Amino acid sequence: MLATVSSASLSGAQGWPVGVEVHVSGGIPSFSIVGLPDTSCREARDRVRAALLSCDADWPMQRITVNLSPTGVPAGGAGLDLAIALGILVASDQLKPRCIEGIGALAELGLDGTLRPVPGVLPLVDVIATDTVVVARPNFLEADLVADGQVRAVRSLRELIDVLVNDQPWPAPPPPPEAGDEPQYPDLADVRGQHFARFALEVAAAGSHHLLFVGPPGGGKSMLARRLPGLLPELDARQSLEVSRIHSAAGELLPRNGFIQRPPFRSPHHGASSVSLIGGGTASMRPGELSLASGGVLFLDEMGEFAPSALDALRQPLEDGVVRVARAHGAATFPAEVLLVGAMNPCPCGGAGSPGGCRCSQSARHRYHQRVSGPLLDRFDIRVTVQRPSALELLGVDPGESSGDVFTRVAAARSLAASRGVRANGKLSPTQLEEFAPLSAGARSVLERALSDQQLSARGLHRVRSVARTIADLAGDLAELTAEHVQTALMLRTQPLAAGRPGARLYRKASHG
Amino acid sequence: MDSRSTEKRNPDEQNVALPTAAWLAALAALAGAGPRRLRVLLADRQPRAAWELVMRGGTKGQAHALGRGGAEMLSRWAADAQEFDVAAFWDDTMQRGIGAFWFGSAAFPEALVHDPEPPAILFHRGDPDVIAGPRVAIVGTRKCTRYGHDIARAFARDLSLAGVGVVSGLALGIDAAAHHGAIDSGGAPPIAVVANGLDSVYPASNRLLWEDVARTGVVLSEGPIGTQPERWRFPARNRIVAALSDVVLVVESHVRGGSMHTVAEAERRGVPVMAVPGPIHSPSAEGTNALLRDGCAPACGVDDVLIELGLTAAAQRSSSELRLEPGGLAGDVLATMGWQPAAAEQLLVGVRCSPAELAGALDVLRSTGWVIESEGWFERVARGESSCDH
Repeated sequence: MLATVSSASLSGAQGWPVGVEVHVSGGIPSFSIVGLPDTSCREARDRVRAALLSCDADWPMQRITVNLSPTGVPAGGAGLDLAIALGILVASDQLKPRCIEGIGALAELGLDGTLRPVPGVLPLVDVIATDTVVVARPNFLEADLVADGQVRAVRSLRELIDVLVNDQPWPAPPPPPEAGDEPQYPDLADVRGQHFARFALEVAAAGSHHLLFVGPPGGGKSMLARRLPGLLPELDARQSLEVSRIHSAAGELLPRNGFIQRPPFRSPHHGASSVSLIGGGTASMRPGELSLASGGVLFLDEMGEFAPSALDALRQPLEDGVVRVARAHGAATFPAEVLLVGAMNPCPCGGAGSPGGCRCSQSARHRYHQRVSGPLLDRFDIRVTVQRPSALELLGVDPGESSGDVFTRVAAARSLAASRGVRANGKLSPTQLEEFAPLSAGARSVLERALSDQQLSARGLHRVRSVARTIADLAGDLAELTAEHVQTALMLRTQPLAAGRPGARLYRKASHG
Repeated sequence: MDSRSTEKRNPDEQNVALPTAAWLAALAALAGAGPRRLRVLLADRQPRAAWELVMRGGTKGQAHALGRGGAEMLSRWAADAQEFDVAAFWDDTMQRGIGAFWFGSAAFPEALVHDPEPPAILFHRGDPDVIAGPRVAIVGTRKCTRYGHDIARAFARDLSLAGVGVVSGLALGIDAAAHHGAIDSGGAPPIAVVANGLDSVYPASNRLLWEDVARTGVVLSEGPIGTQPERWRFPARNRIVAALSDVVLVVESHVRGGSMHTVAEAERRGVPVMAVPGPIHSPSAEGTNALLRDGCAPACGVDDVLIELGLTAAAQRSSSELRLEPGGLAGDVLATMGWQPAAAEQLLVGVRCSPAELAGALDVLRSTGWVIESEGWFERVARGESSCDH
């Protein structure tokens, strides 16, 4: 006899509907799964058998064939366990077919028959078209987000059989949490001194401009970077769903009260491989740190210590806002709308944070700087040198401006950007810049000089212009960009890492000057 | 027809026509043949005779004079020398535009003739006639600060303008700054003494500068083509720098380092040494400050050096030094900056202005050449009328 139960399987951050067809017929007792199942799915036989026996159901001593349709798409995960169990119960006449009509199943089974949660339930439930989807209780809140009223949570297979056979009412869902547990980001008021770096942080937050801090160890680079997400506006509904989906697919805990609404902050260790940063993997396409930070901040501390190949893998996704990961067994597209913040020491010894304090040889510094490639460096619109604050500032009682105050200005600037049709000024295209960031005569001459001094590239010109637009927005100057706005944008775009060969820069100056 | 006759020619016949320099070049190309060992090989012998003796394995006296391992060295050299084509080597040298003068030749620089350790042969690229007139060596650390770099460059520029040849070692840091200054001025041609063969550039990043020195002045080396910059060659090079100069000026130096070796060589030869005072906290000025403490003459301006040379103080000033310092906010920024590199944060706090105001002032200072931005730091590079170097 044949039974079909709806379920879903995960590829990347995307759910695919899977129809689990179970056929039980006479013949030598056997069990086979077809339709490109992965290992955890193959092992379903042992789990499902034990679970059925634990629930006082029978394991049919017949020939059992499970087909995962569509058969051409690799399906995987233990989330298909429950669907297989229900299919067997119906196909072996232990359940009436009408009992499972309109029921989708999405849970892993324990040997004792309990329903266990599965990662990525949010995108998975989204693609199951049945009226009711049964999930494990820990998955309920997450699943309920996308399918209002459609999701049922049960504790065990026994409980589920009772509901289906005896028309008992569904058990009450787990209660919603009392309070949210979204991360609380530290406040900017904790930072003493650092007026310039604060300003850079504010511009970066307002315009979503990638930011690079270079400075000696203990200068407060990480402290500043960790306060950046607190300056960013909450995610809108579309972003929130997308970000929650990615986190769900990666098996990350979602906030207890629902979607992720605060911009995420991810700070991978510098040992991260390029796959862990951009996503991929052999068995399943797991989203990388870049995608988990989407909508928020990706902070690369000690950027000079990351593998150069891992850093360079970020370049193209940063430009496109999405990352396409292709592997032999499939491809996945993940969002990558991050605000990238990098922090690094000026040299391996860190002493170059003060004049003449560096003990590194010229070539050691050069090698260190070369670890961040020119094209990646070019993507940082704001690059500032951070110094250690003075003792007076550290011990002073004068607290800096709080995150709340800065946030008010950032939010105002963001709403100006929204009126231009983008989320932030950093996303303005060159054509849009022509329209929304007109240059005064003074601004034009400042830019012309910077271009002729080779201080700026063509790409740099656009970036400076969009940063200048942000600076003007923050100051409340809505008219054309003045010389001062452009000069400030140029000051935020210093060259903290020596580019090119050592000595080449000095030589160039000699031949022209 | 021609090629056949060349093949048939007896190598010895061909070698008869070779100049003394060719034999000396071959001797200098022997592995590990430094100035001292060359003197042993050349004692009381003409270069050709010395070469032929090496081919035969040298003498017992030579083995003794070469010190420990002398006999093995001679037998290794004999094996190498038998394989060595002196004529082809000399041809190669000539084809690369490299010339040579040797101890005893008419062109040999006079300053080296009476030297306690004169080089047996000196290869040159560029115009060797520029080694005339007063010369000052400007030496210092490879890891110089902006302060040292600017001073080396300014001194070299003004000395060159006053007709003084600037001698240095074409290394990174102070050496490079000194050569840059001399080339920029268009005054007396620069003179460089390097440790490696003249067919290659070391350090490679100095290639453009190297070529400029060879074009406008002269690059000298004791080593023939193919010589690698082995460690021991640098002290040997420093002795030539000291020997060629009338004054050795140390701009910035750590307590230990090549420039201190140059100073020692200068003192051996009675060449006056001068040092530029540096900040007492700066590790890169510890060497120069120690020299001053030990009684070395301070060089606080080009005129000090010119007077030491017995010339009248007549250094020309570049136009930037005659400018009035800017006023207003830009002036405040310059004053806050002083002569140390400053980050934007420091200036913001020191001047007490908004980022936008600071950006305006810095842009003005940068576009008018008062300040440059380097690795994220803003540094003052030009002097104005209200400040004076001495």
